[in-house]
Amino acid sequence: MKRYWWLGLVFIVALILPFVIGEFWVHVAVEILILGLFAVSFNMIFGYMGQLSFGHAAYYGVGAYATGLLMVKASVPLPICLPASMIAAGICALIFGYFCVRLTGIYFAILTLAFGQLMYYIIFQWYSFTGGDDGLQGIIPPDFLFSATAYYYFTLFVVAAALIVIWYISESPFGYTMRTIRENPDRTRFIGINVKRYMLINFVIAGMFAGLAGGLWGPFNRSIAPDLCNWHQSGTPVFMTVIGGPLGFFGPMVGSVIYTFLMAFVTGFTEYWPLTIGLVIIFVVLFMPGGVLGFFEERVKIIRARALEVGAGESSEKENS
Amino acid sequence: MAGEVILEVESLNKAFGGLQATHDVDYEMMTGELSAIIGPNGAGKSTFFNLLTGYHTADSGKIFFKGINITHWPPHKITRLGIARAFQVSNIYPRLTTYENVRQAILAQQKKTINLFTPASRLARRETTELLEITGLSEQSDMVAGNLSQGDKKRLELAIALGSRPELLFLDEPTAGMSGEETHDTMELVKRLNREIGLTILFTEHDMSVVFGYARRLTVLHQGAVIAEGTPEEVRDNEEAQRVYLGEEA
Repeated sequence: MKRYWWLGLVFIVALILPFVIGEFWVHVAVEILILGLFAVSFNMIFGYMGQLSFGHAAYYGVGAYATGLLMVKASVPLPICLPASMIAAGICALIFGYFCVRLTGIYFAILTLAFGQLMYYIIFQWYSFTGGDDGLQGIIPPDFLFSATAYYYFTLFVVAAALIVIWYISESPFGYTMRTIRENPDRTRFIGINVKRYMLINFVIAGMFAGLAGGLWGPFNRSIAPDLCNWHQSGTPVFMTVIGGPLGFFGPMVGSVIYTFLMAFVTGFTEYWPLTIGLVIIFVVLFMPGGVLGFFEERVKIIRARALEVGAGESSEKENS
Repeated sequence: MAGEVILEVESLNKAFGGLQATHDVDYEMMTGELSAIIGPNGAGKSTFFNLLTGYHTADSGKIFFKGINITHWPPHKITRLGIARAFQVSNIYPRLTTYENVRQAILAQQKKTINLFTPASRLARRETTELLEITGLSEQSDMVAGNLSQGDKKRLELAIALGSRPELLFLDEPTAGMSGEETHDTMELVKRLNREIGLTILFTEHDMSVVFGYARRLTVLHQGAVIAEGTPEEVRDNEEAQRVYLGEEA
């Protein structure tokens, strides 16, 4: 556990953050957390299972609408809405995933994209239930979470709890089975694993956590719109994960910090946000192929190796003298 | 040790386009056997293994394992029933460590892969360490498998197959790419597994000294069909086998 001291540090910084920064940046921090959870859930499919889901916003959007509709139309309290969002997104992922896991590679990506767009059009067209492109307004969080700071703390604890659960899953035999499916699906069949079934289970779990992230979004933004399901939204976790690094657990979260912070910062003085993020992604892909996190992990390894060499050199010199 | 029939194959056929890769093959194995299938390149040895383990499905014919008809079963079900295989070209998880490679096979065998919340590092420790010791990979335990030497990759391949705790083990050229010493060690291990725990083993091999040194029964495949079968001595004396295969080397 000594390796993870910095996690405690990050958490303490996150706890005192609202006292240091203004309200605008507290909003940005909430966004970082929600989109970070969304990206981490995406990476369960991309980084761990080795398939590119280009329709992950479907589950994010379904989660957002489940919480939004329950709160607006039935006044269900938020703590009950969030698990409901996970279940709704999980059911949706089960139905779509059933077909998607039959494919791999580009075909998997295209089919997830198609299902994502299908979800978008359903929400867009089903005016009487979802409000269509008017979206859903007046998703007001309960009084004790009304202020930006309160909602920030609430989000921080929910996201932290979700990350701990996903972390456990990634280190469990199931998580390692995902790695083996990524590395060598054929071999995995021959050690007795029903690869398709395991891919489906993972797809559903990833969808559930995307749904949880979506559920957090509505009360934060006070409203939701069908765009939450659109392919732009599916691209967000892809970009975040590429920037942060898909092979480390925290890569997508690092990506969310960079992406969301940059967006808040850059859109403050220019409308050229897509150009900016495009340049960032080109830079990362060309010069940091493992993402920012992968890049720094590599540096740390090299520095440690050098330190060891130096240490070994010194001790042998002593022996000689 | 020998006893009941563990594997029974009845007139198995498989064609790829116009090529008859397996042609009316009948085959039978008893529990405790250590046997080999030989034949020139393209004789259909790998296809035969692929059919038996569910990688390909047969066009016609039947396969019985422990009396159960497994002809159209998928690979994972066949593995769970007790057949494991090691591949000709090492088929491992290159970015996991040697230890993790083996542990995963053991966890799958113990049906623990659906466990979502216990760290994998706490499970199957004893079994994994033991199996790494048996296969001579203890020192490479923490190495990333993709960085292993060719011979060690093949040993890992064998270790993964053993992790499934099979009753019947198929080895497709288990010593391909190994040095003389490694070949000897590996085949001695195969022999020990067969003698000491009674594991039924069927292997293919190019190296005739290995085949004649270890197999107690040989089957010669040629153009997908069985053309000779018997003890090494009988096959050596068989004219047809000499003509299509052994003769080439003599």
